[in-house]
Amino acid sequence: MSGLSIVLRSIWRRAEGRFALIVLALWVVVALVSLVWTPQSLWVTDGYHVWARPSADHWLGTDGTGADVFSWLMAGSLTNLLIVLLTVALCAVWGLALVAAMVARSAALSSVAVVLVDALISIPTVLVALILAVPLGASIVVVVIACGFGYGLNLARIARPAALLAARSSYVESALSNGAGGWRVLVSHIIPNILPVLAVQLSLSAGTAVLAESGLTYLGIGVPSGVPSWGHSLATSVKLINVFPLTVLWPGLIVTVVVVALNVFGDVLRDAIDPVANPALRRVEEGDGKAGRGCMPNGIFETDKVVEASQSCETTENHAGNAAAVAIRGGEHNGGEAYDGR
Amino acid sequence: MGVDVRGLCVTIGGSRIISDVDLRIVDGERVGLIGSSGSGKSMISKAMLGLLPVNAEPTGSVSMGGVEVLGASERALADLRGRYVGTVFQNPAAALNPVMTVGQQVALPLRLHYDLTRAERAERVRAMLGKVGLPGEAYGKYPHELSGGQQQRVGIATALITSPRFIIADEPTTALDSITQRQIVDLLTSLVDDAGAAMLFITHDFSVLARATTRCYVLDAGRIVESGNTVDLLAAPATAETRRLVGAARSLTLHAGVGEAKEPGESKERSDE
Amino acid sequence: MRFVIHRLALFVVALFGLSIVIFAALRILPGDVASVMAGVNASPARVAQLREQLGLNRSLVEQYGDWMGALVRGDFGTSILTGRSVTALVASRAAITFPLIIVGLLIALAIGLPLGCAAVLARSARVRALFHMMSIIGGAIPALWGGLLLILLFGRGVGLIGILPSQGFPLDGWAMPGRALLSLVLPALSVGIIVGASIMRYTRAALGGFADSGYVDMARSCGMTRTQAVLRVGLRLATPQLVSVIGLTFASMITGVMVIENLFALPGIGNGLVTDVGNRDLIAVQSELFLLAAFFLGIGLIVDVLHRVLDPRMKTATSLSEVSQ
Repeated sequence: MSGLSIVLRSIWRRAEGRFALIVLALWVVVALVSLVWTPQSLWVTDGYHVWARPSADHWLGTDGTGADVFSWLMAGSLTNLLIVLLTVALCAVWGLALVAAMVARSAALSSVAVVLVDALISIPTVLVALILAVPLGASIVVVVIACGFGYGLNLARIARPAALLAARSSYVESALSNGAGGWRVLVSHIIPNILPVLAVQLSLSAGTAVLAESGLTYLGIGVPSGVPSWGHSLATSVKLINVFPLTVLWPGLIVTVVVVALNVFGDVLRDAIDPVANPALRRVEEGDGKAGRGCMPNGIFETDKVVEASQSCETTENHAGNAAAVAIRGGEHNGGEAYDGR
Repeated sequence: MGVDVRGLCVTIGGSRIISDVDLRIVDGERVGLIGSSGSGKSMISKAMLGLLPVNAEPTGSVSMGGVEVLGASERALADLRGRYVGTVFQNPAAALNPVMTVGQQVALPLRLHYDLTRAERAERVRAMLGKVGLPGEAYGKYPHELSGGQQQRVGIATALITSPRFIIADEPTTALDSITQRQIVDLLTSLVDDAGAAMLFITHDFSVLARATTRCYVLDAGRIVESGNTVDLLAAPATAETRRLVGAARSLTLHAGVGEAKEPGESKERSDE
Repeated sequence: MRFVIHRLALFVVALFGLSIVIFAALRILPGDVASVMAGVNASPARVAQLREQLGLNRSLVEQYGDWMGALVRGDFGTSILTGRSVTALVASRAAITFPLIIVGLLIALAIGLPLGCAAVLARSARVRALFHMMSIIGGAIPALWGGLLLILLFGRGVGLIGILPSQGFPLDGWAMPGRALLSLVLPALSVGIIVGASIMRYTRAALGGFADSGYVDMARSCGMTRTQAVLRVGLRLATPQLVSVIGLTFASMITGVMVIENLFALPGIGNGLVTDVGNRDLIAVQSELFLLAAFFLGIGLIVDVLHRVLDPRMKTATSLSEVSQ
């Protein structure tokens, strides 16, 4: 069994994991179906049925132009999926670039990167979006760059301790002395060690990106009007509030459920991907003779455990009694920010 | 204060960490609990103190000076802790409150249990700091400004400030270097003896145990596998686990020059600064 | 002290960098800025006049220098559309936004901190799971939708219990404080509930990390109950983290605040900025973005310095990232 299928199985085994997987799968399916079919054409506007109540023809009614609300929501799921995927990709690339710079051997580069992250981390998404919106106008690009930029900074800050520990490990030392380049070290030593943090952070970022899309689109600096998106549907539903209040519920409910699913997915993923918390995964890795992929002790997989490991000479009762360790932490992980990172 | 543990079991998330542990400590006795990493030693001490994690389910009986600990209210346990039972933790850097000065830290049990004026507290704390061999200026310092050995002295001072009847020392020397280990063990045993208190000394290192205790229990995978006079056990271990631990201690002793087998000259001891 | 000077220098450099980014973003408008701003039907003479007025026929470096020079003197320029000074514009908008943010944040803290602590203190696994679910759902509600739901519940005219004004702000501003405050109740509540959920989540995470720590065990072994130890020791130790996180939440809640301002038709900073961007009111947008950037960089600065003051162990480290994570 591959690591991926074990991780997915562990997620599926928990009720909340099942919920997250089903919602996310449904999202992808609906988005793909909307490519070829929606109950009503998006562009058919029926002047006689403006603000219509839900009916057999219009499951969730129509908006102010007579367009079908349900069809727009379906089509919107595709736009949102695209935005989320692009944001996550940008966030990963930008975040990893920052991480690489922050743990670089060159003291100048690493301190510049650290300082840069410190200084810019408080700049909100909407400010970046506004700056971009002036030359670009409302556009998907604005949403993706604004979100990817901010979330990448966040990712870098959170992944840094684990990356630093990996980068200063004796394995990396020996790889470097054997002539491995910085790129190779990043790909084969640092990324595997920050993978759990990375995966969790990215799924949280995906949720935030969905929320940001709805906000930015409503403000007129996100997805341009005329392009279906959940934010667009939500913004449209605002106008419906005096006409047919219950229609307001649907777009917001969809966004909320999807964001909950992405957050829950992140939470469950954290446990499933962590070899300390997931014995099945550990067995595979040990069986393959490559325990702790990045050749690091288990302790590296979470920042709080790094601290634990560094604080006690002997990480005693926690790692050896694995069942105990899992149970003690009771699946209640802290957000990944350890207090004291040495 | 006598301690009587009978049939203690601890289950966490369906898996049994501690199975059927019996353990007895009479007044004024220094008893060891030894086992390798993950054998559940700390879990036993946590059960005695009522500090088990919220999802742990203990069964059996732990009686301290006639008071049943298991099932007691947190309030009742809190009254016991720091007043009748003192605790020294494994790693002082992860236990001493980083935002409290040494003076505040050592005074904490007094503040929580006794109605003293500020001056009275300060006076007692200063006297206690003297007893554990800390310089006067340590009073206003933060833990991170002290060395590991000094931090553990603060931990010992905090545990002993209220003259408790029973001390639990949970691997108090593990985080320290070998010379400091010796000093801390000697300090702890002499202070405990002076106070006439009983002590449970938890460790994985036989060489430390021989110095600190007269009698001991060997724990393996949550069960007591052997018990008896520490020196006898060290000389003739009966079970495989005990042999392993004794073997580990011997090899440590050879390298570090600590323990009974080989006494380095007392003059070699230096301050742990 | 060295750290503060260090951090202050960083603030200035970052602000300088952002001012260049903002300036550049506003100059690379596709097409001629002046004609975009003047509108489609403007006469060539009007466009030329505007270009002259904006100094667009001068070199970019000169334009930037003029802007910076004026900023340093405290002159933020004049809105081209309304003819009002940007300073006055921002001040009148801030008089709505700041109370909204502050009341919203207070509501968020009043919700998030106790619930976060309760989530950690709960002994039953089921109750903990319930708190966890609450924080996740609360944090997943889009600000717009949260506001809408509150209007549907309490908004005058549409709500089930229509008792609160759901639109607008008194035209005479704070002349009648009661009415002004009343019109901020629903918006602040919307902001507060959503931000409260994330504060709850962070509190739970930060405090949870300490609840099982040696520090709390130590305090308990000295004679505190679990609740006492978590609230007195755990919360104190989690404070530096919480301050950082709340500071950053403050930054991230601004999108929600802008949405809420828009939804409730409050003429605040966010609403105004969006309008000005829509109108391509170049001078106003440029200075407003700069002020906003300065504000958030300032929050970052304050948070970093506070973080440091609160943790005695950090007095020797140089960069926050060295220790905060």
